[in-house]
Amino acid sequence: MAAVTKARKDASAIIRLKDVWKIYRMGEVDVPALRGVSVDIVSGDFVAIIGASGSGKSTMMNQVGCLDTPTTGTITLKGHDIAGLSESELAGLRGRTIGFIFQQYNLIPSLSALQNVLLPLEIQEMPDSEAHRRAEATLATVGLADKMHNLPSQLSGGQQQRVSIARSLVGDPEIILADEPTGALDSVTGHEVIAILQRLWSRGKTIIMVTHDMHLAQYAHTHVELKDGKVIRMEENRKMLKAEAGA
Amino acid sequence: MKLHKSFKHALGMVLHSRLRSWLTIVGIVIGVASVIAIIALGDGLQAAVASQFSGRGVDLLTISAGAARGGGFGGGGGGFGGGGGGAAANSNNKTPELTRADIQTLKGVNLVGDIDTQISGQVAIYYLGQNGKVGVTGVDQDVWAKMTNPTLQAGRPLGPSDTNVVVIGGRLASTYFKSPVGINKGIVLGGRAFRVVGVLNDSSTSVYMPIDSAYPLLLDHDPDVYDRIVVQVRDVTMVSNASAAITQALSLRRHVITRPDFSVSDPSAFLQTRQQTVSSLTTFLTMIAAVALLVGAVGIANTMFTSVLERTKQIGIMKAIGATRSDILTIFLLNAALIGLIGGIIGAVFGVILAQLMPQLLSLGPVGGSNAVAIVKITTILFAIGISVLIGVVAGIIPAWNASKLRPVDALRYE
Ligand SMILES: Nc1ncnc2c1ncn2[C@@H]1O[C@H](COP(=O)(O)OP(=O)(O)OP(=O)(O)O)[C@@H](O)[C@H]1O
Ligand SMILES: [Mg+2]
Repeated sequence: MAAVTKARKDASAIIRLKDVWKIYRMGEVDVPALRGVSVDIVSGDFVAIIGASGSGKSTMMNQVGCLDTPTTGTITLKGHDIAGLSESELAGLRGRTIGFIFQQYNLIPSLSALQNVLLPLEIQEMPDSEAHRRAEATLATVGLADKMHNLPSQLSGGQQQRVSIARSLVGDPEIILADEPTGALDSVTGHEVIAILQRLWSRGKTIIMVTHDMHLAQYAHTHVELKDGKVIRMEENRKMLKAEAGA
Repeated sequence: MKLHKSFKHALGMVLHSRLRSWLTIVGIVIGVASVIAIIALGDGLQAAVASQFSGRGVDLLTISAGAARGGGFGGGGGGFGGGGGGAAANSNNKTPELTRADIQTLKGVNLVGDIDTQISGQVAIYYLGQNGKVGVTGVDQDVWAKMTNPTLQAGRPLGPSDTNVVVIGGRLASTYFKSPVGINKGIVLGGRAFRVVGVLNDSSTSVYMPIDSAYPLLLDHDPDVYDRIVVQVRDVTMVSNASAAITQALSLRRHVITRPDFSVSDPSAFLQTRQQTVSSLTTFLTMIAAVALLVGAVGIANTMFTSVLERTKQIGIMKAIGATRSDILTIFLLNAALIGLIGGIIGAVFGVILAQLMPQLLSLGPVGGSNAVAIVKITTILFAIGISVLIGVVAGIIPAWNASKLRPVDALRYE
């Protein structure tokens, strides 16, 4: 598998977590959700973050996606220490570099599929005609060319997730973060989503996916396993599966 | 995000908002509509009061015998509607009188121009077999018309060589008797025959005649003793000064420095009080309207707080996909401003309609000669809409700030 070896050998760390602690304060007690996590995510990799419920997967994802700041430790995104960035610098960097796919799709209900996909481009202040062209093309690649003007409420779960994937892709980010992207989908639709992610990976995107489903994790190239807020295993997945579904 | 995109999203938020936002807008609409209607009404009343005095009357001062009695507007306008007030001076010697000596004194006062001497009283009237009683005012026919500039619906004013002629009020001419009293008709006043030469454009039953013709009718009046002296002030901006100068000169002449036995009415002062009354009324009503607006503002703030709560997750999503604090702040502030603007515009429409209805609703009827109408100035509309937008923004600041401050991770967790 040429793409795999290439990714592993040439690429440098696009996201680096160094001794990251995340401690939630719940009244009097401190709940450590991450306890000294150090991970290098290599550019072009397809990483599955796995672990039992409550092991800290989502917490780690929020750190990786720069949605949250660590209690201690450093996070480096494309060479920038995010602690040194202002709010708006970080928002800009995040918007350009990372696309998010959420378990609950998180589309804006009052906007059509197309408007949802346009939103990141509007935030980036891309010219209208260019933005429309890209948004429509991206929706077409996830197979929703004919549903562009539907509201989220007029789409099935799988279709909504595909809109959300289109939204994460439209700004052409280097990294796609997906927290339980198939969690709300049936296994067939879930497979289609995995197929899209694998296709993106083969085109050079860095994919980071959270899942508690060991079967789904088999489609990823690298496994990071968390337990009680610690990384207990990080290794290449030698039995990587290839998703068949078209889409 | 570009401003016009933020605006688009803010507008979308208003249009997709729940019934509650529209109820909030109703609050603003009521506030703005009442502010506009009230200010328009106030402006209308001011204008009516001012027009009542414009052109005539403001430069006239009326001097009456006897100590000041509450402003004395009855004769202030130069004798219109006079007569009913009755004669101030009677045969009692001790009663202060205005005489030729006072005229001489007045002629020596710098600002004084024309001087009209007047007497008045109730006199029996007879016309085509019908009897009645009307107020008769004898005036100095040489200056009366020039000074008071009466508006006539027919005929002419009194002239210098007239004797035994009268100018009569509009109601006396039209409906007082069974048949109208027209120009050149003869009427009998106090047993003497008079010819009507002019009809005033008013609704009074007053009768004006040369003062020399009036003395024989008003038997309790001695010759060369007057009820009133009306003087025209040469400079309309100096009326108050003239009033003071006249008071001083007459007090000296009459040896009543400390306790004047006469009064000088100043219609411009009266105008001022009238306008002050109107404007304090307007201020009061405006305050009520302001309270309505304040309630609207609280409504907007409340709606905005709830709207931010409702959209917490959306805010998280937008931040995750790259929206900055200022993007979020702008969208929510524009949203609040738009609620204010929409409420302001709808309110302005209702305000203008309400302003037209207001005079009838309050049954204000005629103020002076002219009917009081509300005057809606474009500045009033712009002011009200501007205030309403400002209220929206002010009410939206804290919720919008809160929204922009949300951490994406917390916002995304919100259900
Ligand atoms: N905002 C928070 N406040 C307090 N504690 C939190 C918060 N978020 C997470 N935790 C705690 O941190 C720990 C890790 O939570 P996290 O959501 O990362 O788990 P997870 O691996 O994603 O689980 P799941 O598979 O159920 O989604 C849990 O013990 C959780 O209770
Ligand atoms: Mg989770």
